[in-house]
Amino acid sequence: MKILNQIILILLSTLPVHAYTDLNNSELLIASDRLNGSSIQNAFGSSKEVAIQATVRLLRNNKLIALGSIVHPSGYVITKASSCVGAREAETFDGEKYSLKIKKRYEETDLAIYKLETDKNSFQVIDWDVDCNTSEGSWVFAAHSNLEEIRIGVTSGLPRKIGREGGVMGVLLTTDTSKVKGVKISEVVPQAAAYRAGLLEGDIITEVDNRRVKNQDSLIKIIGKKDPGDVVRIEVNRKDEIRKFLVTLGHRSVTFDLFNRNLQMSGPVSKRKDNFEMIIQHDLPIGKESMGGPLFNLDGKCIGINIARVDRVSTYALPAYLPSKVIAPFLEKLP
Amino acid sequence: MNRFFPNTLILFVSSLFLDADVVSEKKWFSETPQNHADLNAIQDRLRLILSEAKKSLVAIESDDGAGSGVIVSEDGLVLTAAHVIGKTGKKMKVRLPNGKSLPAVSLGGSEISDAGMLKITKKGKWPHVQIEKMNSSKVGDWCFAIGHPGGFDKERGIIVRLGRVIGKTEDTLQSDSRLLGGDSGGPLFNLDGKVIAIHSRISKEPDQNFHVPIECFHINWDFYREGQLLTFDKLEEKGFLGVSCEATKDGLMILNVVEGSSAQKIGLQKNDILYSLDGEKLDSREELTILISGKKPNEAVTIEYHRGEKQLSLRVVLGERPTE
Repeated sequence: MKILNQIILILLSTLPVHAYTDLNNSELLIASDRLNGSSIQNAFGSSKEVAIQATVRLLRNNKLIALGSIVHPSGYVITKASSCVGAREAETFDGEKYSLKIKKRYEETDLAIYKLETDKNSFQVIDWDVDCNTSEGSWVFAAHSNLEEIRIGVTSGLPRKIGREGGVMGVLLTTDTSKVKGVKISEVVPQAAAYRAGLLEGDIITEVDNRRVKNQDSLIKIIGKKDPGDVVRIEVNRKDEIRKFLVTLGHRSVTFDLFNRNLQMSGPVSKRKDNFEMIIQHDLPIGKESMGGPLFNLDGKCIGINIARVDRVSTYALPAYLPSKVIAPFLEKLP
Repeated sequence: MNRFFPNTLILFVSSLFLDADVVSEKKWFSETPQNHADLNAIQDRLRLILSEAKKSLVAIESDDGAGSGVIVSEDGLVLTAAHVIGKTGKKMKVRLPNGKSLPAVSLGGSEISDAGMLKITKKGKWPHVQIEKMNSSKVGDWCFAIGHPGGFDKERGIIVRLGRVIGKTEDTLQSDSRLLGGDSGGPLFNLDGKVIAIHSRISKEPDQNFHVPIECFHINWDFYREGQLLTFDKLEEKGFLGVSCEATKDGLMILNVVEGSSAQKIGLQKNDILYSLDGEKLDSREELTILISGKKPNEAVTIEYHRGEKQLSLRVVLGERPTE
């Protein structure tokens, strides 16, 4: 739980309200000339149109849950699997709607292939560029989820692997100094896994999955090896009474959002944003419902698939070589 | 001599042409791009200067928080936000992009503009960048923010965000470069690679964030450098004149005179232009605040001002700041 402290400590502006300056008196740059304004969008020219046509909206009960990237002219799309559970319908830029069928799911990359149910064989497909220079400060853009505009930004940070985060119970711990052996819960995160299972502040965790826990480190080690969704058996000492609980572990990011002011300011972020073999990062202002859609360079080539909205300034995309390689065997079998 | 002359002339002429070329090709600086060529010009320029800019970025760590800052002198003077340093004379740590941690001490700043300074205390030649001159940056300039959003992360590296200056007043600059906690105190650069502002506050709208314009540092440089920190708490105990002003090219124009204040009693009026206080020329509202806050209630100051065509001077005894 060390990470939690670090998160809380990140400094945020706490200036009193009267320090805010009224900018109404000054000249403001007109909206169309700003980074994501219409003038700049238009400078992207035909790349913009192709991008919008090769992106689809994926709907559940008429609500947008993800975007998809068209990878085959007969209507096969790839998207972010974990965002797309229960998607029933796809909508293209021209307003046409199609029912959807899932064809394949790839756990490691969090990708899934869906088929738009139609005989049409002339969908605009994305044009992969697996060798593109995506070095820091390169223009990138993606279709806005309304499939009318685009959103613009640049790549940033280093291309890298994102490690696994593991499941969490949603408790803060202190090692109890009393004679009772175990790890004491000093706080239970409201609505998180431990809270729902019935654990309380002051409970002393003595065993996890029938293994003794002596200190915080051994507990964190056991839990950290599990994934979100896994169930663990917890034995606690509550006022000298032994009690047993089953806790279904949660996602770290979701569990600790309450404590993270950065995430509060970021708006909704993706549930799964860990455990990717390789990502490139960019600053496009897009929501978590825009994951699964293609990321383009200035030439309109697809250089990645947006895979996780991380915070207000960061989105991860799988670099083009990865998704194109993953789905190649599937596409080869198509007639 | 004769042989030199033509050479000199040729050099002179060609340098003129070079200058002309640079001006016409600076389309990346503040123009709205029309096509791919324009967009490429911006991208190429950003890539060219980004690596140098990043070398001067530091992560700032203290007991109670983390932020960013930028080194602006070889001996390690760092510009940051006042809310990152908190108070003067505080021991802090700064981290270079390679992860190396260095000792530092906080200097001065102002809670009003949120400008802050600190100094690396270890001797060395530190990577640093230039700051832009007074009144150079303007609305429409392309800019980029760098910082450590969410804290230092070596594997991730420094995060760059491109944008434009969307608004600027005497003590606030707004851009559509996106910011997050941990970016506070980090630099906003123009595409000449010079620091034009320091990240201060994020707006509810992600594309309207606030920065401290570099002008705030220029005007009060020595005050901050000497470890003077202007805080809201301090202001309460200090002298009070009772005017709100707007900077103009001639001085500070009074927008409003506080009822019952010293300024009202002595007869200062709306639209009077204050141009000096105890002989010091007034360039910004913050400078006036700093000068006044250097005095206690019942101390007197001499103010020179214009009213219409008339040049006037008066001596006024300061009052106490009214409690709200």
